[in-house]
Order: sequence, then C-alpha cells, then structure tokens
Amino acid sequence: MEKTIIINIGNTIIHIEESAYELLKVYLNEVKQHFVNHADDLEIVTDIENRIAELLTEQLEAEKKQVVDANNVNAVIAQMGRVQDFDGAEENEEEPVVTNNYQYHAEKKLYRDMDERVIAGVCSGIAHYVNTEAKWIRIAALLSLFLGGAGLLIYAILWIIMPKAKSRIERMEMKGEPANLQGFQKNLDEELLAVKEGLAIAGKHTGSIFGQIGIFIGEFFEWLGRFISGTGKVIFKVIAGFIVLFGVLFLLSLIISFAAFQGFWDSSVYEYFPFSIVDESNRGIILFSAFIVFFVPVLALVLFSVRVAFNKLAINKTLSFALLIIWLVGVAMAGYHAAKISSEFKQHAELTQTSDLKLNKTYVIDIDRSKYFSKEDSIKYRIDANERRQIVTDDFENGPFIMPNNIRIDIEKSATGATRLTQKYESQGKTFQSALQNAQNIDYRYALKDSTIVFNPRFQLRKGTIWRNQEVRLRLEIPVGTKVILKEDTYRYLNNYGTWECGDIENDKNDYSTWIMTEDGLKCIAQLKEEAVKNKKLRKELIDLEFLQKDRTADSIYQDSVSNRINEVKEQLGIDKD
Amino acid sequence: MIAENTQTQMRKGILEYCVLSIISRGEIYASDIIAELRSAKLLVVEGTLYPLLTRLKNNGLLSYNWVESTSGPPRKYYTLTEVGKDILSQLDQTWQELAYAVGVSQEGAKS
Repeated sequence: MEKTIIINIGNTIIHIEESAYELLKVYLNEVKQHFVNHADDLEIVTDIENRIAELLTEQLEAEKKQVVDANNVNAVIAQMGRVQDFDGAEENEEEPVVTNNYQYHAEKKLYRDMDERVIAGVCSGIAHYVNTEAKWIRIAALLSLFLGGAGLLIYAILWIIMPKAKSRIERMEMKGEPANLQGFQKNLDEELLAVKEGLAIAGKHTGSIFGQIGIFIGEFFEWLGRFISGTGKVIFKVIAGFIVLFGVLFLLSLIISFAAFQGFWDSSVYEYFPFSIVDESNRGIILFSAFIVFFVPVLALVLFSVRVAFNKLAINKTLSFALLIIWLVGVAMAGYHAAKISSEFKQHAELTQTSDLKLNKTYVIDIDRSKYFSKEDSIKYRIDANERRQIVTDDFENGPFIMPNNIRIDIEKSATGATRLTQKYESQGKTFQSALQNAQNIDYRYALKDSTIVFNPRFQLRKGTIWRNQEVRLRLEIPVGTKVILKEDTYRYLNNYGTWECGDIENDKNDYSTWIMTEDGLKCIAQLKEEAVKNKKLRKELIDLEFLQKDRTADSIYQDSVSNRINEVKEQLGIDKD
Repeated sequence: MIAENTQTQMRKGILEYCVLSIISRGEIYASDIIAELRSAKLLVVEGTLYPLLTRLKNNGLLSYNWVESTSGPPRKYYTLTEVGKDILSQLDQTWQELAYAVGVSQEGAKS
C-alpha cells in the first residue's frame, strides 16, 4: 500500500504514488533549474511537462492501471533524458551560470526532523540548521525549562511554526545536503511559480495558523500516546507495582482489624468517639458494611494496578460486576445506618437538678484527677481497693481520643444569697422522650467535703446508653463577698475566666488562684489588690496636682499642662471630668 | 574524452539540420521527430529537442498547430515556415559543401 497524490501536470490530472511523485518532482526541478537562464524557459518547460503528461497517460493506458508508480516515472525520464544529456543542443549560454546557481542556492531550511525526534523533532531540526549535534540543543532546551518554564513555551511555539520535514526534498533541505535540486526553492516566488507551473498537490499548504495549531494538537496527543506506551509505560508499571504492594498490605490490615473488632470484644474501644455512637445491637452489621465500603474500592484499585503492571487481567467481568454489586450493597447499608443514627440526634432534651450547698465564707473548687474505674477496669489494671498507695491519675490531654463527655462549669453571683449548684443534663434523641431518657441516663458525681467541692471532669453514661451528644453543664451560684479558690486544673472546665492571668499576677508558683465574688461577677483577688494600689497612687498624684494648680495662676502654659494631667488621672480613676 | 567531445560537437552541428529536414517532409509531432532521429541512429533524448524546437520557432523557422490528442494534453505539430524553407535550402548547400570537404579530406581531391 502506498499513499497516492493527485497532481496536475500539463493540465492533466494524474494519480501518482508518493515515491514516484518525489522522483518526478526532483526531475522537473532539475529541468527547470537547467533552463532557468534560458530565454524561453517557460515554454520549454511547459512543452516538456506536456510531453511527460502524455507519456504517463500513455503508459497508464497501455498497462491498464490508474496510478503512476516509480517505474513509469523512470521510463519517462529515460525517454526525456537526464539534464546532463540535454547539453548537446543548447550549449551556448547556460553552463557556467548554472554552476553559479548551485552554489548560490545551497542553503538550509528549518524543518522538524521526524526521523531523529524525541518529542516533535524541534531540537534535532534546529541542530541541523545550525550545524551541530542534536544533544547540545536538547541539553540547552532542558536547561531553559528552569528559566521559569520559558523553554516549554518556546518549544510549543516552535512546534507550531516549524513545518515537518515530510518529503525527501524537505529532509535534504533540512540537512543542507548537496543535491542537484537544491537551489530550486530559492525563495517564495519560485515556489509559487512551481505551484503555478502545475505541480500542485491539493491541500498541501494548510496555510492558516489554525491549521498549524490543529496539526500541533494532533501531534501532541500522538506524542503523548507514544510516551505513555513507551517511556511512560515503565513509570506507570512501577507506580502500579507500588499500588499493588501497599494496597495488599492495606487490605490485609483491614481484614485483620475487622476480625479484631468482630472477634475480640474489647469493650473499652466502644467508649471512644466513632464507635460510641453506635447501638450495640447494630454494631456487627455497621462494622461489616463499613468494611465493605473501604475494602472493595481498594481491592478494585489493586486489581487494576495488577493489570497495568503485569498486562494481565486479574479478574473477569462477571467477578468485577459482582464486586460492584457487593460494594453498592455495602454503601447502601452504611448509608441507611448513617441516616438512622443521625435521625437519633433530631430532638433535644434537658434535665435540671438543683441542690443548695452549705453556706461558707470560702469555697475550694477542685477537679478530681483520678479516673473513674469500673469493676472491670479495676480487675484489668489489678487495682486493689485496699492498697492505699496506688494512685492512678488520668492523662487528660494525651489520651488516644478526645472524650466527648467533658463537663463545663459556670460560676455566677447568687441572687438569693444562698450557695446553689445547678446540674443541667442535655441530650439528643430520636424523639423528645428518648432524648430525655438519654439525659436521664447520665451519671454525674461531685463530692462536697466541708468547703471543698471536687468536680469529676467526666460524666458516665449508664450501661446500655449510647452517645447522643450528652452534655453536663454545672452552674455554681455564690453570694457576693465569698472567696473562691480555684485549683490548678479547674480552668479547663470553667467558662470565661482568665485563670492564667490571675496566676501570673500572684507570681509565685501556686497551684491555685484566689478569687472573690463581687457585684460584677468573679474577680481575681490579686488583680483587685494591684488595681487598688494603682488607684491609691493616682489619687495621691491628683491631690498633688490640684495643689499645684493653685500655684502660679498667671502662667497659662504651666496651667494647661497641669490640668491636662489632672484630666488624664481622673480618667484612669474613672472620675468624671469637670 | 577528446573523441567524445568532438563527436558531441559534430552531432550538435548536424542535429539542427536533421530536425529541419525531417520537418520539411510534412507536419510532425515532436516525439515523432525523436523516433525519426533514433532510426537515423542520431541518438538524442527528448529533453534536448524541446529547447531546439522552441529556439527554431522563435527564430521564425518553424510554426506549429495545436492538435487535440486522445491521450494527454493537446500536441504541438510543427511545420517549416517560408523562412525555414529558405534556411533549409541554404543548409542543404552547406551540407553538400561539408560532405565534399569531408570526402576530399578522407580520400584526396579527385582530379
């Protein structure tokens, strides 16, 4: 099979094979070159072209075929004679001029070299043009990539504007090889002449820049395809190999953890967040569907990677379809349970419990830092209730999960003059009833010992209760004038009190800070003391200033500066200015 | 090499005369002229003939008619003009003289 070209020679349309066309084009260029300085070159060449057309047509008829091949062209050339044989008749003028022409026309043209290309042949084309090895141009191009990617842009532009060296003639022009047709395409005029003289190929000159860009895009994707199937393939295979390796490891760990959750009923895990919201009876099915939701896509990824890496179908269509179905079922189950669980957060209920405390001048508020242990825990950690020296404290911040059931404490001024503790239990639930039920299942304890209130930082949920965003809020109302000593860790659970600042002012490394209830709420005593000292100083200054004001009444500048300072001091003391 | 050069010169010299002689026998197509020249063992390629014919025509020795062809483009059929005939008769005479000159050169003058 060979590509054929339609040419118009001597006003005759002829189908010609590409290789034959090249041959004929070279020959005609030689002929034209030969007669270029002849007075009647146009007429002679036309005569010759007409004759060639006639000879070709005759041959096609004689051989009963449609397309001219190289043999036909060779036969024609043999009959018409080589240019060297032309010399016989018209010797007079052309010889010396022609040799001059050859030298003059020995110039190179810039084409993309499609034979020695890496991407689009731009670099090797330039290398031919400037007469160097392609590797140097390529190195330069690679380096230019680091100049903010300018090289990439330039490469793309050159790709678009540089034509491909398609034909033998173009390849020769690109390499600047000595060829006897060299000078023919000296400039555009002569090229146009060549077209006019009847050697035109339909659609050869796409011309417009859009056409060029179209070619560029087409070639770019062609190159991308070659890259992916060539160099890229290796990279993809390596990546796929890694995916297979890690995917299999992931799948194994998934299976192991699933088995662990199902098999070993380590109940303490379920007290932590993602598991604590799940109803015990549904645990198995939810766990299973979650397992499927994660397992199947990873498995699919691994199987696909196996295919990429080893060119082997690891799984047939039916099986993959079954996997898809299983996954969809898993997603549906997980979605159903997620919706069901979230519906159980719909309603909100509160439960309040108020108790009056014994009146005291000073209260110490502390946080119980020992963990609440269930009977099972005690057995697990081998805690002996009789062994007094064992103290187990809870690490609040470095635990594996943030416990959701922390409490919040507000300390407020008492309106009635009595000390009162209000515990507010809140919860969500599917209905108000169930929300209330959930709130009632909160078990919270605090200890009152003389004037010390020890709050447990956590609350427990009674057995069988699941996490439904339960919260415990405590409100401690204290009469004005009562002192409050806050122990070190209390600030974590208190709302809106800068316990740190208060500790800073006291300056010694006490593990507590002292506060007092005022009409404006709880105040840090150290802070109040400091303010009092400052106020005392300011008042003293004010008295001094007022005394100065009476002196030197004539000096207006002096009077101004004194009264300014008086105003400043008054402002700081909170006294109204005159 | 020297022999070749001389041969070429000699052939060149008589080619124009032969072509005119062939055309003088009647209207003729270029490739037929070639065929005649080949049969006369005056071996030329067609490429040589076209510039020659063009020059002779432009010098007014020849004229041509376009004749439709069944294969390919229309053909140019050449005929001698009056000027051509006149020049041909001059060349005839010159040829006689040359033939005599060659004959004398080879065999000596006949008394």
